[in-house]
Amino acid sequence: MIDQLLVFDKVVKRFGDFTAVKEMNLSIGKGEFVAIMGPSGCGKTTTLRMLAGLEQPTRGEIRLDGRVMNDVRPHERDTPMVWQSLALFPFLTARKNVEFGLRMRGMDATKRRDKALLWLDRLGMSEFAERDISTLSGGQKQRVALARSLVTEPPILLLDEPLSALDAHLVIRMQSVLTNLQRELGITFVYVTHSQSEAFAMADRVVIMSQGEVAQVGEPKDIYRAPANRFVAEFVGRNNIISGKVKSQSKGKVVIDAPSGTFSVAATKSAVPKTGDDATFVISADLVKLSVTKPKSENMIPATLISEEFIGSVVTLFLESADGQEFKVQVQERELATLDLKSTKTFYLSWPASSAHLLTGA
Amino acid sequence: MNKPARKRFDAYAMTWRLPIIVWQLLFFVGPLLFMLAMSFFVVKNYRMVEAFDTASWVKMLGRGYFWDSYFLTLWLATLATACAMVIAFPAAYALAFKVSDNARRWAIFLLIIPFFTSYLVRIFSWYVILAETGVVNSILAYVGLGPYTMLNTKFGTIVGYLTLTLPLVVILQTFAMANIDTRLVEAAHNLGCKPFATVYRVVIPLAKTGLIIAALFCFILSFGDFVSPYYLGGSKPPTLPILIIDTTKSGQQWPRAAVVAIMMMVTLFAVAFAAIAAAYAKKGKS
Amino acid sequence: MMLERGLTWFLRIYIGVIFLFIFTPIAFSIVFSFNSQRFPTVPLGEFSTQWYDTVLADPDVWQAALTSIIVSVCASAIATLLGFCTAYSDYRYSFRFKGAYLALILLPPTIPLIIMALAMLAWFSKIGASGQVWSIIVAHSVLTAPFAMAIIRLRLNQMDENLEAAAWNLGASEWSAMRHVVLPFCKPAIVSAACLCAAVSFDEFAIAWFVSGLNKTVPVMILEIVTGNIDPRVNAIGSFVFVTSMTLVVVAQIFFSTKQIRKSAGETG
Repeated sequence: MIDQLLVFDKVVKRFGDFTAVKEMNLSIGKGEFVAIMGPSGCGKTTTLRMLAGLEQPTRGEIRLDGRVMNDVRPHERDTPMVWQSLALFPFLTARKNVEFGLRMRGMDATKRRDKALLWLDRLGMSEFAERDISTLSGGQKQRVALARSLVTEPPILLLDEPLSALDAHLVIRMQSVLTNLQRELGITFVYVTHSQSEAFAMADRVVIMSQGEVAQVGEPKDIYRAPANRFVAEFVGRNNIISGKVKSQSKGKVVIDAPSGTFSVAATKSAVPKTGDDATFVISADLVKLSVTKPKSENMIPATLISEEFIGSVVTLFLESADGQEFKVQVQERELATLDLKSTKTFYLSWPASSAHLLTGA
Repeated sequence: MNKPARKRFDAYAMTWRLPIIVWQLLFFVGPLLFMLAMSFFVVKNYRMVEAFDTASWVKMLGRGYFWDSYFLTLWLATLATACAMVIAFPAAYALAFKVSDNARRWAIFLLIIPFFTSYLVRIFSWYVILAETGVVNSILAYVGLGPYTMLNTKFGTIVGYLTLTLPLVVILQTFAMANIDTRLVEAAHNLGCKPFATVYRVVIPLAKTGLIIAALFCFILSFGDFVSPYYLGGSKPPTLPILIIDTTKSGQQWPRAAVVAIMMMVTLFAVAFAAIAAAYAKKGKS
Repeated sequence: MMLERGLTWFLRIYIGVIFLFIFTPIAFSIVFSFNSQRFPTVPLGEFSTQWYDTVLADPDVWQAALTSIIVSVCASAIATLLGFCTAYSDYRYSFRFKGAYLALILLPPTIPLIIMALAMLAWFSKIGASGQVWSIIVAHSVLTAPFAMAIIRLRLNQMDENLEAAAWNLGASEWSAMRHVVLPFCKPAIVSAACLCAAVSFDEFAIAWFVSGLNKTVPVMILEIVTGNIDPRVNAIGSFVFVTSMTLVVVAQIFFSTKQIRKSAGETG
């Protein structure tokens, strides 16, 4: 059982008539890398700001290490944040920026200097220590911002979409910097982002939010394979969502009648629909098998190819079934050779019942 | 905006918010209100006595010379505004569209200097330049023209007003035109609108708000200036500001001066109100 | 097109003519301050520094200069301080009647100086402060504070919206953040505002004339000299005034436009 460092206990945040965060209950442990993810306006940034003390909860308690933080002013907390705009002090050098937190704590000049240089070195920025911030590139500024937040050796680091302004190739690099750093330091990272790939690549646990509510909390692979509801399934993407009515159920399998066909889905402990109920299930794009000949499978759909999307070694194929539903299938690029995309008219999509996941929520 | 946990009385916020309120109430609103009250005081034996008497109002507004002065000032300010707006326009147009960004920045930089400095010195220079034996007449004499009387005339006053307002009007007009959507101008050209017509039909309407603001400031400055009519215009007949000076300095009739001042302010408020309404009025599709 | 190019050249010459109109009187004053003639006209007389000598030997001029300097420095200090307070309050907070609050500081320049001069004269007389140097200082601070506020407010717009919060987040109290972050950031704008306010105050004569009584500032002295005859000393004094004000305005503009930091978070590289 991980030590609970941070607890949101029935936290609600309202701005006038608008409720940004509906009742939130969440625990984050020591040393965890947690990503809070969701579309704009879902409440993730508000949640982070409440952690930093920049907003006060309307109701409920936020506890850090057991201490109630609601009335603690931002400068009295030890919750440094890496800002989306970086917010580096433009009139200070990189080193002086990093020293800032230590200076506010009254550390003397020599000790400050040494610590700042230590952290800049740790992030590979030693040679830039005396440089003006404006002369640094985006990636370099990012590292200075990180050093500035970590120099006080806090128990927790907050990050507000820190990679959103960087070029794509830098994002990948910074992602590994962050993950390695977190593992080395063993401190808790709370990372807010709207990018699913960032969250899933770096986090131990992901919190998906929508319209102020927590839609699902869990490890990336669990969320990917077993989304809790339609919103999460759609948000996570790269899967196929099929809705229909329950025809029958037996032996741990549920049979669903949908416009595209009749499908068998493995029943879960929590989802036990009755015959005649509406039901929706999800099948990940990479678990759908594509063949040019009709396979023997309990789940099979004939479909025509609409388009392809190359993302390097993985290709996403978009197909359409007879009833007009779109399907995504992910195949490895080398598999394409065996499939004759140009001349084949009808492809066959298939998957075993155990690969699909029944959605419990709406 | 960032709102950290707030105590009931935010001493920090109030420290920054209150000083200007106190200061301006004491030294801006106070004097103006006092001046309003003062227009109702009376002067007995060369001393001003606090009272409530409309004598000054009756005397001033009943006098022909007040209204002559009022309409003269109005006329001169309007004329100056018209002249300044027209004279500045080609220059502002050129600065907005026909020169490089760098050149425009330099031009504004240079224009700001006289706007903030040395109005008095420049008026005195004009006094000497325009005199009967001054530079202009001397040069014209070489060519066999003149001498022309330029001082103590309305012409002199207008030259003075232009000296005061031209830098500002050029700057404001340039900003007004530089900030319009040039794509609309290009579109007009594409549709066959001739160059001069484009200016009239497209550029000016688009820059309307900024141009009206420029005219408004020009009017306010000219209306309230006493130096130009005093030194270049001969101060007779007097404009309203000169009236204020006369009644204050020589006449010691502060209540009457206050009446003139208030009438000036009312006029300016009315003009400003009308101008701003016109500036931000939404036109229907023409 | 020939018409197009001809037009462009015409416009450029036109701009030149406008600048000529605006700057001729200034050049004139400087040129003739070195001219030996009593009455400035063409043809020019000999080069002479006699007017400067006369002016610099006049104790009244030095007294007026000292008064002008004291007034400018004090007025611009007060105006810059008030401008900063108001600009910061506008930047950081929203509150009821904010419109009226801003109008309170921004209205003075829209009221003709002669009216302000009369109102101030009456008011200061009533509270017994007429003719004293501090009354000119106060009047000028009211007059110039809007410029200071505008300059500093524009600078605050350039500040990263999270900069103050970042300071708090790193352990700085609001006061500390103000001292270590906001003020350093605003420094160029503060200098610029101070210079501009000093220039406006140094040059202002209407209010000074009304309110100063016997404590004359230099512009007031100029006014009084010329109300008599044409006096070439005016050119010499005027040149000093012009050079001082111009320097201040130029410095103000330089400080205003340097250190423009872009707010964008990241760039490539």
